[in-house]
Amino acid sequence: MADDMEVEAEREGCGYQKNDKMFTLKKWNLVAMWSWDVECDTCAICRVQVMDACLRCQAENKQDDCVVVWGECNHSFHNCCMTLWVKQNNRCPLCQQDWVVQRIGK
Amino acid sequence: MPLSNLNKHTAKGQQEHTNHRKRRHSSENHSPTSKRRRDILEEMTDSQKRANFSALTSPSNGLTRHASPLVNNKPGAAKKLVIKNFKEKPKLPDNYQQETWEKLQGAVEAIHTSHSIQASLEELYQAVENMCSHKMSATLYDQLKQSCEKHVKSNISQFLGYPFLCFVMFLKCMDNCWQAHCRQMIMIRSIFLFLDRTYVLQNSSVMSIWDMGLDLFRSHIVGHILVQARTVDGLLQFIERERNGEAVDRQLLKSLLRMLSDLQIYQDAFERKFLDATDSLYAAEGQRLMQERDVPEYLAHVDKRLNEESERLLHYLDQSTRKPLVTCVEKQLLEQHLGQILQKGLDQLLNENRISDLTLLYQLFSKVKDGMRELGLAFALYIKNTGRLIVINVDNDAEKDKDMVQNLLDFKDKIDNIISVCFGRNEKFINGMKESFENFINQRQNKPAELIAKYVDSKLRAGNKEATEEELERLLDKIMVLFRFIHGKDVFEAFYKKDLAKRLLVGKSASVDAEKSMLSKLKQECGAAFTSKLEGMFKDMELSKDIMFAFRQHMQNMTAPGGVDLTVNILTMGYWPTYHPMAVHLPTEMVDYQEIFKKFYLGKHSGRKLQWQPTLGHCVLKVEFAAMKKELHVSLFQTLCLVLFNDGHEFTFEEIKQATAIEVEELRRTLQSLACGKARVLIKHPKGKDIEDGDKFIFNEDFKHKLFRIKINQIQMKETQDENTSTTERVFQDRQYQVDAAIVLKQLKSVYQIMKTRKSLTHNLLISELYNQLKFPVKPADLKKRIESLIDRDYMERDKDNAIQYHYVA
Repeated sequence: MADDMEVEAEREGCGYQKNDKMFTLKKWNLVAMWSWDVECDTCAICRVQVMDACLRCQAENKQDDCVVVWGECNHSFHNCCMTLWVKQNNRCPLCQQDWVVQRIGK
Repeated sequence: MPLSNLNKHTAKGQQEHTNHRKRRHSSENHSPTSKRRRDILEEMTDSQKRANFSALTSPSNGLTRHASPLVNNKPGAAKKLVIKNFKEKPKLPDNYQQETWEKLQGAVEAIHTSHSIQASLEELYQAVENMCSHKMSATLYDQLKQSCEKHVKSNISQFLGYPFLCFVMFLKCMDNCWQAHCRQMIMIRSIFLFLDRTYVLQNSSVMSIWDMGLDLFRSHIVGHILVQARTVDGLLQFIERERNGEAVDRQLLKSLLRMLSDLQIYQDAFERKFLDATDSLYAAEGQRLMQERDVPEYLAHVDKRLNEESERLLHYLDQSTRKPLVTCVEKQLLEQHLGQILQKGLDQLLNENRISDLTLLYQLFSKVKDGMRELGLAFALYIKNTGRLIVINVDNDAEKDKDMVQNLLDFKDKIDNIISVCFGRNEKFINGMKESFENFINQRQNKPAELIAKYVDSKLRAGNKEATEEELERLLDKIMVLFRFIHGKDVFEAFYKKDLAKRLLVGKSASVDAEKSMLSKLKQECGAAFTSKLEGMFKDMELSKDIMFAFRQHMQNMTAPGGVDLTVNILTMGYWPTYHPMAVHLPTEMVDYQEIFKKFYLGKHSGRKLQWQPTLGHCVLKVEFAAMKKELHVSLFQTLCLVLFNDGHEFTFEEIKQATAIEVEELRRTLQSLACGKARVLIKHPKGKDIEDGDKFIFNEDFKHKLFRIKINQIQMKETQDENTSTTERVFQDRQYQVDAAIVLKQLKSVYQIMKTRKSLTHNLLISELYNQLKFPVKPADLKKRIESLIDRDYMERDKDNAIQYHYVA
């Protein structure tokens, strides 16, 4: 597939662009940093940054499974922290609105 | 002379004297010879015995009388043969004792004067035996002693007679006299053996003949003050001559020293003086040679001396002298000079890596008290001083720092080699070495850790083909040893992580295996927590590959803008170093492509956001120069600058800055790499090494290079000063955060403990107790916060009526 693209690029380079473009981009190596799209970067339940796994998952070495959950109120927590929380109290710990999951990160 | 031989001689020579003894003698001897039988027959003719056997005078009668009953009568009537004792005891002649002694004395004198003995030895032995049997032992012993004493006394004259006899002659004379004495005493003892075995053994107060001889020799010859003094002086002179390198008669020395031992005056008369002489000789020699010679020469000399002395012990000195003698030499030549030897020579030996001299030094020092300790301390001090010279760099000279790690590794190798080859892998030295390394390497804060991290980077980077995999592995192990000494491991981690990120993202890592190996070493050393983020970085690289595979499949159904081959590395924030967010202006087609990917990615991973990191991006550009086509490997920033020239011939610095929005310093570096480096794709006006505001750039159409693919993105791998500072600063921030956390915890604990013991306190009392307990300065506001925090957590509570009174909550 990569070869196909190169051939294509080659053809384009030799074609209509030849006279007006001295520099043609052939390969591009791009770097991006991802993070959870959250308003507050600390989980209010376990006090650990949401980018790190919650303490429970760190201890059990399940860092990769520790995702973030957003409520309708747009507050976010570790999904596992929130799962435990709602068993006692089905409200958002920050705004006391009824907890409704908006989305779960993956 | 064997006893049986003597017996035979005596028996032959003494028949006429004691017949009854003779018979006993023959009965003792169970193998009678024909000669002995004849002797017995002769005895029968002796007049003394004839009376008892009168019946034999008429043999024919007796025979018939005896024969008839044997033939005719009953056996019971046979006549018995009765043997009776002598009626009277045989008597010795009256002058027997005197005569016998005269004979013996004659023999003794003959022995003393080295003449041949008149009587046979057997006869003499028999005479002694007879005298002893007739209770003359005591007299005999005294007479013998007198005779010997007289002779020994007479010998003294030769040692006193020539007062000016040279000591060599004197000693030879003494030796001869001693040897003669021994020979004579052995001979005399052989003759008087019976005396020695009966009388002497039965009387414990009497000395054996040999001991008597020694006693006489001791008291009359060597016991003479003058003679003894001359003998001992002579011996000492002999030994001194040998110590000065002359060859001497060791046999003579050995014989005379044996004499002293035998006479049991070796220790009193000789050894003490000998040790004194040795002591003063080596004390002086030690002092002198420490001044004159350098340390290796001196050590070799000491070794030579020790060998000589032990040879002396082997050849002539008594073994009992070994310990005091060796101690004496070691003390005077080594122990007295330990400090001086180490001070004067150790550094030189270590600097010049003189393995054999160091081995000798260690061997010698291990023999003396405190030697090991002193050497260990001096060795540790040397490591500290030398190491400090490598590490400390007052002017922060980059050239010097560049070689620091390599120098440290070489130094460590050298020291390790010395410890294992010269110092017998001594545990104490190894520990001392470790402590010293730890000491000096931390004398300079942070920089060694940083340089070690960079050294590892340089070895793990692509293009480092100087080492095979095994060599690299060994090198990494050595680096880990240095790393172990470092206190600021966080500094190492920060720089290592930064460099690892570049290696992974710019694709410059030499070998995945080596990277993984280094990672596992770090994990082993510092635990999983230390490396979990580094491992996360590798995981991100793997995940990115999967994502790119999915993305390419996704793109097959769409038309790729510009036909660019796009690769994206998605990094998890927190695992990687933090980079300055930088928004740059990309050409529209690139922005479009970027957006396509972003849409694709976020579609797969909801709840995430992406932040582009332009500093780490890199590209391959196809370029049409006047003469030929080339491919350039460039950073994203370089790309942005170059593609501008697709739309114009000439740009100023400001124009490029405006168009790309690259930060000024970064832009200067970028343009410098394009217009002032080895491969100059752009031409700068005016010419110069540095990029100034107002400089103009044009495309270099006549660019020539022998390669088709040209890499000019090395600047991405280089560390900028800015980057360096920010990495270090971040470490300090983290540290401060950790320190703060520790302080908070400690303050919380203190408040809690005080409340738990006091149960109830006013605010002011609590604060003053806290000041007493917390040793470091605290702000009252901080303490208030801790108190509030504990109240929040229900560890304590305010009094309901009095707001400044606290109670402990159980």
